Amino acid sequence: MVTADELRTKKQTWFDDVSVGQDMPPLVIGPLTPTHLFRWSAAIENWHRIHYDQNFAVYHDGLPNILGQGSWKQSILPRYLKDLCLPDGWPWKVQFQHRAMIVPGDTLTVWAKVTNKRVADGLGLVEMDVGMKLQTDIETCPGTATIVLPIKGGRPIPYPFVAPKEA
Amino acid sequence: MSETKNPLTDEVKALIGMSADKVEASPPWGIEREGLRIFTNAIMDPDPRYWDDEFAKSTKFGGIVTPPIYCSYIGRKTLAGVEDPISRAFRENPNSDGIGGVREGGADRKGQLPSLPTPLKRILNAGNEIEVYKYPALGDHIYSQAKYHDIKGRVTKDGTAMLVVTTQTTYTNQDGEVLCILRASTIRR
Repeated sequence: MVTADELRTKKQTWFDDVSVGQDMPPLVIGPLTPTHLFRWSAAIENWHRIHYDQNFAVYHDGLPNILGQGSWKQSILPRYLKDLCLPDGWPWKVQFQHRAMIVPGDTLTVWAKVTNKRVADGLGLVEMDVGMKLQTDIETCPGTATIVLPIKGGRPIPYPFVAPKEA
Repeated sequence: MSETKNPLTDEVKALIGMSADKVEASPPWGIEREGLRIFTNAIMDPDPRYWDDEFAKSTKFGGIVTPPIYCSYIGRKTLAGVEDPISRAFRENPNSDGIGGVREGGADRKGQLPSLPTPLKRILNAGNEIEVYKYPALGDHIYSQAKYHDIKGRVTKDGTAMLVVTTQTTYTNQDGEVLCILRASTIRR
């Protein structure tokens, strides 16, 4: 896991420094416990019992265990992209599908691999395949993302972010 | 044997592009620290931009901000003073799954899209798309507006009828700035 001090002092990854085919630094989370899942349910007041009531999940819904929430995964991927961009890049967009189930005991590796890079309106767009792999190497959340990294000597990335017209 | 019809009826097609009311998603007091602390702990993100005032002021954001799509969760909370939706749901159905009955009539019914006029009841999450433009800041009031972005109908080779429904929700702040856009696709079968 990443610490607060690492995020406070993170050095910028520049557009100039990434190349197609490059693996970005992964984020490993886990092993997940029922308590992690329950904390997320309580945080967003999602009371669906399949996420914290094992009897209901197994005997009523026929699931192998309580399940990790899709909404949690939906929050982890943007969080990971944000970390990659800090301090001055921008995690512009991400799309993904929900595939394999996540259950207590699983460890997730959030990953990204650069598939393309291009400049649009003076902004450095980095396109990536992204996902969250289980310890078994099964992909739970395949998708794609576009982040914006600053170009050395280039213009600052606007905040609020303004999508490049050419993108 | 009768042939399965494409479930994309004229009634369903008529909903494409339809928007729900724009509603305030944040609580009446806006974005606040305690909710933010609970949320960032739950995604295990210790970023000081979410809690350290002095450091946050030194960043390009100029103060404490929230995670990229925090605004999409704040509208789900039950406000104080309303009938307890959990008690009501389990009173009406002791085997409640904790979601449908709890949400019906709850605080998060405001700003919802009309139900699809389809007999297809089973819902599977097909994927999400997120665009981020600005992070909410402490004190911000967040507004959301949902719409049916697209609906496609098909019949599989084995004769199963399905709809792929994509809803889009746009989140804005009190100044009308777009914070993020979420598109969620579900399969109805």
